[in-house]
Amino acid sequence: MSITPSAGAHGLPTRWRAGAGRVVAGAALLTAVAFLPWLSGTDPALTVLRARSAEQDPTPAQLAAVREQLGLDEGPFAHLVRWLDGLAHGDAGTSWVSGEPVLPQVTTAFAVSLTLMLGALVVTVAVAALVCARTLHLGSRRRLRQARAGTGAAVLAALPKFLLASLLATVCGVWLGWFPSQGWAGPQSMVLPALALGVPSGAVIGGLLDQSLPAAFHEPWARTWRAYGLTNGRIARTALRRALSGVLPQLLPTVVALVGGAVAVEKIFNIPGLGRLALESAIAQDLPPLQTATLALVLLGVCAGALIQAVRRALLGPALRDGALPTLHLPALPRPRSLPWVIGFCALALLTLVVAGLLRDPLHVDTTARLLPPSFAHPLGTDSLGRDLLARLGHGALRTAGVALAVTVASALLGLLIGTATQVGAGLTEVVSTLPAVLAGLLTTAVTGPSVWGAACAVCLVAWTPYAAQTAALLEQERASGHLLASISFGAGPSYLLRRHLLPAVLPPLVRNALLRLPTTVLVLASLGFLGLGEQPPTPEWGRLLSENQPYAELAPWTVLAPATALVLLSVLTVSGTATGRSRAGLRTAGRGSA
Amino acid sequence: MRTTSRGIVAALALSPLLAGCFAPGEDGSGTGGEAGSAGRLRVALAVPPVQALSPYSNDATVLSKLSVAEGLTALDKDGAAAPALARSWTQKNATTWVFELRKATFQDGTEVTADSVVNALDHAAKAETRPRVLSDVTLTAKADDADTVTITTKAADPVLPLRLASPALGILSSKAYAEDGTVSPVGTGTGPFEITKLTGKTKATLNRFDGYWGGKAKASGIDVSWIADGTARAGALRSGDVDIAEWIPTAQAKLLDENTRHEVPSVRTDSLILNTASGLFADATLRSAAREAVDGDVLVDSVFGGYADPAQGLFGPAVSWAADRRVEVTGRATAATAAQVKAETKGKTLRLATYTNRAELPEAATVLQQQLERAGFTVKQDVREYTQMEADLLAGKYDALVFSRVTLLDTGDAVAYLASDYTGDGVYNIAGLKDSKVDQAIKSAAEEGDTAARQQKIMRAEAEILRTDAVVPLVHEKVVQGISDDVEGVLLDPRERSLVDVDTRLK
Repeated sequence: MSITPSAGAHGLPTRWRAGAGRVVAGAALLTAVAFLPWLSGTDPALTVLRARSAEQDPTPAQLAAVREQLGLDEGPFAHLVRWLDGLAHGDAGTSWVSGEPVLPQVTTAFAVSLTLMLGALVVTVAVAALVCARTLHLGSRRRLRQARAGTGAAVLAALPKFLLASLLATVCGVWLGWFPSQGWAGPQSMVLPALALGVPSGAVIGGLLDQSLPAAFHEPWARTWRAYGLTNGRIARTALRRALSGVLPQLLPTVVALVGGAVAVEKIFNIPGLGRLALESAIAQDLPPLQTATLALVLLGVCAGALIQAVRRALLGPALRDGALPTLHLPALPRPRSLPWVIGFCALALLTLVVAGLLRDPLHVDTTARLLPPSFAHPLGTDSLGRDLLARLGHGALRTAGVALAVTVASALLGLLIGTATQVGAGLTEVVSTLPAVLAGLLTTAVTGPSVWGAACAVCLVAWTPYAAQTAALLEQERASGHLLASISFGAGPSYLLRRHLLPAVLPPLVRNALLRLPTTVLVLASLGFLGLGEQPPTPEWGRLLSENQPYAELAPWTVLAPATALVLLSVLTVSGTATGRSRAGLRTAGRGSA
Repeated sequence: MRTTSRGIVAALALSPLLAGCFAPGEDGSGTGGEAGSAGRLRVALAVPPVQALSPYSNDATVLSKLSVAEGLTALDKDGAAAPALARSWTQKNATTWVFELRKATFQDGTEVTADSVVNALDHAAKAETRPRVLSDVTLTAKADDADTVTITTKAADPVLPLRLASPALGILSSKAYAEDGTVSPVGTGTGPFEITKLTGKTKATLNRFDGYWGGKAKASGIDVSWIADGTARAGALRSGDVDIAEWIPTAQAKLLDENTRHEVPSVRTDSLILNTASGLFADATLRSAAREAVDGDVLVDSVFGGYADPAQGLFGPAVSWAADRRVEVTGRATAATAAQVKAETKGKTLRLATYTNRAELPEAATVLQQQLERAGFTVKQDVREYTQMEADLLAGKYDALVFSRVTLLDTGDAVAYLASDYTGDGVYNIAGLKDSKVDQAIKSAAEEGDTAARQQKIMRAEAEILRTDAVVPLVHEKVVQGISDDVEGVLLDPRERSLVDVDTRLK
């Protein structure tokens, strides 16, 4: 009870601090974007000229004309001030390239992307529901006797969105004609892109939910309610509510971020969304639309963050405020018997792939052997230049997995740190989570120039948000738990609390989340290649294998099937690997507890 | 307390949903996919408009491709000037030309007069970023009477009639030119089709213009959609969403029905540009070694999937006169052997650049890398988006570039390309070439007024350029246009300037 008044007293300052965090983060981001044309080292006059007219000669006179027309010599400050001033009057300026007002363009694209995102949200919810349906069913009947390995979720989460999009467009759009294969002409053109975006996101959300549900079902209330004769449905609903509050913040970086971050899918389905608008204006260094799009994304992030927070509060109710939440810790369940088999199979398959691949030459180009189907000479077939796919996969494995793991670890640590700084961190998380990786890539190139490590830095810059959101949510719950209060009253210091209570509560879900997102990291890393970030071709790398073979997906499916399968294997292996580790650790602590 | 917060949450969640759902409806209305009925053509174009179809930007070609605007002249099949809005013309002296206009009306109902032509040409000359076609010439137009226009150029310009055929110099009615310098071709052209609505960068609606001087168009209108992704464009054609899809990527061409894919030799030549000014290839023997190592022919059937022609020089089969007038290349440096290359390049890598904008180029670069490595070079690739590397290219930061270039620019005359890319003071001289013989050859071609002699001199300049090994031609690209069986009369133009005209129609 004693905590309630103090929380009330802290209420105002914390809200101020959260608001300040958002404003500072948003302002910093917008300033960085405003400086982009001057920081990038590429003359904006040249990129604007190029965007207007591809064959135009870059004569000094032409460039000077563009420079004068746009007022580039005035420097970034004058532009920023003018833009902000115009914004106050509801005018976001005119595009440098087209000379047309920016605001209508951005609002139209934003509305399109938002609609698409909501469609993807529906799919996400449906897929997440499917993923955790079994746990929910068994749990509500107290028949949850085995830990879930999460293999299904890992498989779905590892599917590259752009590949899924190509596949859906080809099969359901072109071959079967069920839905339009491209365009944005009505609700029916939303179906395929929403599926492509929603299925992997739903798998990530569902996988996380599936992991925390058993803990909810193992809380004492469930047994009491059951003894009391409440229906299974009622128990399932309450457990879901309990588990959802920790997973809900993931919607922001996973689904809401698709408003600006679905460039690949927007391209494949020819959707005039915000992601493409932002990308095109960023490439052309067309500042006004880029700034306005960034502002729209920042505002979206903040609004969606507030909305999600409100929903969480509504779900958890007074328990969160009153410090009456029992902690949500994983029960000790034996691992499923199939798990070692799954792990063994994935490990063996990957090992075979790497060993067999390393024995072959991944760079040898043979133009007469292009796009050969799998055969004895080329067990996985060849790509469009006649290179052996097995060799490319094998040689790329270590680099791909290594870089992706390093980036994931770095962003998870960063997320943990920022998530711990609850109030300021929340603002920062909301602002950054809707930022497209490409924009981060451009900002990185502006500072570092094209480099091998640039891609890793750029991805770290944005990939921490899911982990920060998760950490913040879990910590908030944990801090509101009764046993933490007990520890404090026994005189436990902050470091003890962190080590014994907070970190153990945060780490397992965080690791699960990071591993489910590993394949996405691989793809995002590769998607920045066109900025000169990351390894240059012809170095084999899984993300690049997928993107460079994507045009041949229909003509020679094996060229994308092999890298996609490898990615799925990697994902399943890591996710189930930690599942065994976790249940072992769980059994150990359970043993200690009973002794 | 709880009910209110739930209410707010619900309201907040619903409002963007509703707002968002209406947006596509707005976009889709009027130009929906069902518009293929009633003789309307559905066309998928590749490059979305950048300046609301302003003729002074990239968008100019759209106006000529869809027969919206016309210039005083047009180019015929062989690339010679043909009458368009001008019925005929005569050259009075080296700098003065007189054009007789035909009787025509703008799509807004006003008459095409000498004054409107002068007005249009003046606006083009004064545009803030000058259209490329006017970059090397200054012209003044004067109305003599209602249907006679005199055009004088500052210096002699033998190719003026070709120049006037450029889509950037299309004649629009005075209504098109706004105070602030923007130009709108919506309802202001003279062609058989009139733009009635332009929806952002995604769609445009064109209706038949019944007052066209050349008779009524056979199609009642055109529904244009811009689909930037090549796979999506091919998909739209295959699923029947569009009747014509331009520029099908070579990787997708094989998926189309054989009778829907139509290949056209293009004036685009892909080549390997070697940096003669600095780095490894300042050494002519190494350039020569690179030329001998590189074999563009293997790219034709592999990377380009057969949709290209083996390189014959800078100008390929799309430039019809080039083959007959080709001059043999002599006086090249002797190539260094692989051992010499290894010794001379010791410790230095060859920085091979190319860009992602054209899907075939990165693949070609990888093939070339292997060929160059066999000749003893150590190669490192740098592949980025074009705008991300253009400044570096012009600054000579690379040793070699796999480059795709249109050899007949706006003028339809090859000299402009040679001058900007290979003369010592050329602004697009990525090869950093400074060779007095080359400069001389290009200069004398530029000054030649007689068509046949000019072509001969252009080919002599080509031989001079190839002698320096600053450029190694790889292939001449072909364009694959996807045209549904139901459509006839689509123009297959190597210059990519025309596509649909009066006679194009659904069967």
